[in-house]
Amino acid sequence: MSDAATQGYYTAEEAEAVFQQANDAYGREDYANAQAQYEKLIAHGFGGPDVLYNLGTTHLARGDLGRAVLALEQARKQGGRSEDLEANLALARARQVDKVVGAAADEAFLPRLAAATDGSAVAWVFFVAWLVGFALLLFRRAFPAMRRTAVAVVAGLCLTAAVPAALLLAAHIWVHQNVHEAVVLAPTLVARELPRSEGRSLFEVHAGLKVQLLDETGKYVRIRLPNGLEGWAERDGVAEI
Amino acid sequence: MRRTGSGRTALLAVLALLATAPAWAADIEFYQTVDRTEVGTDDTFKLTVVVVDAPSNAQVRLPESNDFEVLSSSRGSQRSISLSGGGPAVIQDITRHELLMRPLRAGKLTLPPSTLTAGGRTYRTDAVQLTVREGRVGGSAQAQQGGRPQLPDPFRNFRNMPDPFGDDDSDLRDDEPVIPRGDSDLFLRASLDRDELYVGEQATLSLYIYSRVDLSSVDAVTMPKLEGFWTEEVESPTQLTGEQKVVDGIPYRAYLLRRRALFPVKSGTLMITPAEADITTGFLFAGHRVHRVSNGLKVKVRPLPNGAPPNMSNANVGSWRMSLDVSQTRVELGQPITVKVILEGQGNVKNVTPPKLTGPAALKIYEPTTTDRLTPNRNRIQGRRVVEYLVMPQRTGTFTLPELSFPYFDPSRRQYETARTDPVTITVEAGAGGVSSLPSTMTPSQVADAANEQKNVLTTGGLRPVRARAHFVEPSQPVWMRPFFLAGVLAPLGLLAGVALVGGMRGRLATRSEAGKGRQQAKAARKRLAEAEKLKAGADAGAFYVEVERAMTGFLEARLGFPVGGLTREALGEKLAAAGVDAERRARVLFVLEACDLGRYGGGVEPGERRKVLATAAAVMEGWA
Repeated sequence: MSDAATQGYYTAEEAEAVFQQANDAYGREDYANAQAQYEKLIAHGFGGPDVLYNLGTTHLARGDLGRAVLALEQARKQGGRSEDLEANLALARARQVDKVVGAAADEAFLPRLAAATDGSAVAWVFFVAWLVGFALLLFRRAFPAMRRTAVAVVAGLCLTAAVPAALLLAAHIWVHQNVHEAVVLAPTLVARELPRSEGRSLFEVHAGLKVQLLDETGKYVRIRLPNGLEGWAERDGVAEI
Repeated sequence: MRRTGSGRTALLAVLALLATAPAWAADIEFYQTVDRTEVGTDDTFKLTVVVVDAPSNAQVRLPESNDFEVLSSSRGSQRSISLSGGGPAVIQDITRHELLMRPLRAGKLTLPPSTLTAGGRTYRTDAVQLTVREGRVGGSAQAQQGGRPQLPDPFRNFRNMPDPFGDDDSDLRDDEPVIPRGDSDLFLRASLDRDELYVGEQATLSLYIYSRVDLSSVDAVTMPKLEGFWTEEVESPTQLTGEQKVVDGIPYRAYLLRRRALFPVKSGTLMITPAEADITTGFLFAGHRVHRVSNGLKVKVRPLPNGAPPNMSNANVGSWRMSLDVSQTRVELGQPITVKVILEGQGNVKNVTPPKLTGPAALKIYEPTTTDRLTPNRNRIQGRRVVEYLVMPQRTGTFTLPELSFPYFDPSRRQYETARTDPVTITVEAGAGGVSSLPSTMTPSQVADAANEQKNVLTTGGLRPVRARAHFVEPSQPVWMRPFFLAGVLAPLGLLAGVALVGGMRGRLATRSEAGKGRQQAKAARKRLAEAEKLKAGADAGAFYVEVERAMTGFLEARLGFPVGGLTREALGEKLAAAGVDAERRARVLFVLEACDLGRYGGGVEPGERRKVLATAAAVMEGWA
């Protein structure tokens, strides 16, 4: 094990070295070692979609469907869609035990909207348009008189663009605050009618299924499946994306 | 249910008996045994002297000793006919002498041998050693079994099966049967070789008939309900084969009906219900059918200890070895490879699951076939389970079948072990001959199929590779949750509000100064008048009067609220009068303005004149609020 692996802090070069060691271990099919190295990188603040993608792929190679989907979904959340990520996610979904069936299986509009757009990009667009628009308005008199009309038009365009950006940003903030997605990690997780171990069992879900967290009490969380099926499951059996 | 015997078998036996002459056993069996070897001087013990196949004129002399007294004696005879293997019937005459005896002193005593005289020959049994203590020792006859192997076995003609009571397997034991109070001549007995074991460990259930009467057949054997067990047949004789077994000093013939290996699948106390059998006794038309029920059994099953490897099945108990047999490690495209995962050892062979063979996508692994071979040894289930995979290479290259591991619990060592195989490297090469080497008799479609088998298949799908490079990103909050974002969004609004606030204040200030504007202008006029005073002694009288006129005009405009510059003197007088200015002040105003007009055009050069104008102007301003 290198020095970097034992230190509490990695330099960029050390982090790169650990990443390559993890990739080498993956190439040797030493998945346990590869997983440990990727997780160390993340624990030391060297995460990101690439490391998460590799971690998810390693979990998938090991057959740990729950953690594979979790890492791949986190990679998608941080870095957006990419071809290899979508392919491995599709492979993971194909291996899942559960098939969610129902008329309401479609995701709500706002989460879909948030998933389809990059929250950071939306926030920056709004921020820049907002500031530039106001700045031009405030300092319009500083421009020559013959250009003041053009400046006013540009300021108006900026502020106009800031409005839909603000709405999109509001959707992202709402989803961020209210929609908590999670992945089932336990091989089998029982969803009960009440948050008690003796509560009536409603259904079972299995590793890799994506669910929504609605509520939490004690060691139980209320989960909702994409088709609206709800139940209380043990908190340890799921992990939030 | 398989029948051990039937009435039809008995009939066939009779016919066989009629067709063949009975075979009398030629050898004389003669032995003696006691029901206990350690007795007290107040105890009694039973000496049994058995004579088998002795001539009718044989003379038996029972042991005589001064150390023992005979309390009672009895003699009994019986004849048995045994049918086995389709051969001639074997007839035995058994005479049993039973003596109830008591030792007369303590110490290591020897009961002398009995003697048998027949046909001019004398046979002797072995002497029996007894340990006699003072008083009463008690105990049961079960302790006597140690002496049994010393005795000759009169039933050796029937010894064609493993001895279930042998001492060569310390792990295997049958508990001593208890003679039921009723039906003591014929009873059914179920026994286990152990009554406490781990989940998945083997216990052996044996079902015996103990009989002191002749058996004709055994029908309708109902085995116990074995809920909570996985069972395997160890021994199921198709014909009755007895062996001698002495119970409480009474010789029985024990017939094995069934022997099964039990593998508990759950922990706890598991019950084994009694077995039942219908048995036909007697011979020919004197026989009759009886129903017998065995004893029930109870076995305590312990769960596997903590520390089991993850995902290990409870069936993985025993002692196992695992190996991998690969038909070839260098192969051409289109040529299959046979990979056998072989698990062999002692345990529940048919219930263990060897690890699944995995490999890279380039090696297509088909569903396996499983074959088992059981080779029970000394009533222990053992053997090998072979899972055979057909592996078809899809691409050229060098590929590795990863190592396999099989965790199990070894009850003899009471610890978890893992059987492993080594990884296997397989090299796949392009076919040497390719399609051109195929027989010419093949149809085009067959040629196409065969050619497809030899292609280096490059398909999409499967697990995408990991990324070779990473752009590391520190964990961070969303942009909109960072402090600068909210500040940046609110700043223009704040700035706008500030500007509006300042503008409003300025407007309000402007409105408010309408009232004070006059005062300010008056103040300015007085200041200007003060400036004019500096010029009163100067040479430029015009400048003095200009300054005074401006001061007066400014003062009037401040007080009246309208310009007075273009007004004639008369108009100004009227305005002043209209504004309520008294006549004296009006006269002074007009005087000052007249004087200034005059002074600007050359008059009023006298200093006294200037002072008078200045004083008049000051008087006008003074007291005009």
